[in-house]
Amino acid sequence: MRILVVDDSATMRRIIIKALNTTGFNDITEAEDGEDALTKLEGIDLLLTDWNMPVMDGLSMVKEIRRNASFANLPIMMITSQAAKKEVIEALKNGVNDYIVKPFTPATLVEKVQALSAK
Amino acid sequence: MDVKYINPFINAVVTTFETMIGLSIDRLDPFIKTHATAQGDISGIIGYASKDIIGSVALTFPEGTALEIYRLMMGEVVNDINEEVKDTVGELANIVAGTAKNEFSNLEISYHISIPTVVVGKNHTISHKGSVPVVVIPFQMTNFKFFMEISMKLNSVTSVSQRMRAKMQTA
Ligand SMILES: [Mg+2]
Repeated sequence: MRILVVDDSATMRRIIIKALNTTGFNDITEAEDGEDALTKLEGIDLLLTDWNMPVMDGLSMVKEIRRNASFANLPIMMITSQAAKKEVIEALKNGVNDYIVKPFTPATLVEKVQALSAK
Repeated sequence: MDVKYINPFINAVVTTFETMIGLSIDRLDPFIKTHATAQGDISGIIGYASKDIIGSVALTFPEGTALEIYRLMMGEVVNDINEEVKDTVGELANIVAGTAKNEFSNLEISYHISIPTVVVGKNHTISHKGSVPVVVIPFQMTNFKFFMEISMKLNSVTSVSQRMRAKMQTA
């Protein structure tokens, strides 16, 4: 299982990766914004992404990914503090499969990732 | 500034720090700031804006607090403010502004948040959006203190309350 972690915050990427590593997810690629992520999609089985990022934000990136038929089934999880009903609906409507609300505990993250990767 | 517009930010700080750091946070008495100088040595600043509201929120930390927060979050001791500590402070500001947004949606207010900026240095200044008074809320975390600064301008309080009334009538 190869996971792509997209977040402009390097410390947030470290927190996410540390949580994944403790659960045996060790094949991880990092990207620091949506545009960077679009160049790293080949061979990825699961994508975890932030929303608020410079250059290209998470939602724009997801829209871009879903336009490409070869990534139609790539599981995408949004990890963001922006979780008002309106945002969640917008994200799901545009192809996000699941949502983790920042701030989160490592346990919540791991639980959600395991559930999504088992599908 | 109406306290109901401050509470979403206060609650967001408490939730963010308690979840990410695992310590309880106490809010101390707020005060009004009339100068641009920050209380702390490092600040994460983020702007928020929409047709309803415009402003900025800053989290400002004395060096010791910033290093302690980094240690608690990342499990790693650092002796001075480096790029990682700056990144952490920016991300905390980002999470607080995003989390507050969720509570603001109950007040029928929405906004977009900017990308956080981080300023470091003794007596650095924080430039807030708008020329309104800045409210400072101090927080206590074990022996460490930090501060949140909020500047806020409501663009159209009437249109917001009108929309809320309209919503209640249709509900
Ligand atoms: Mg971000």
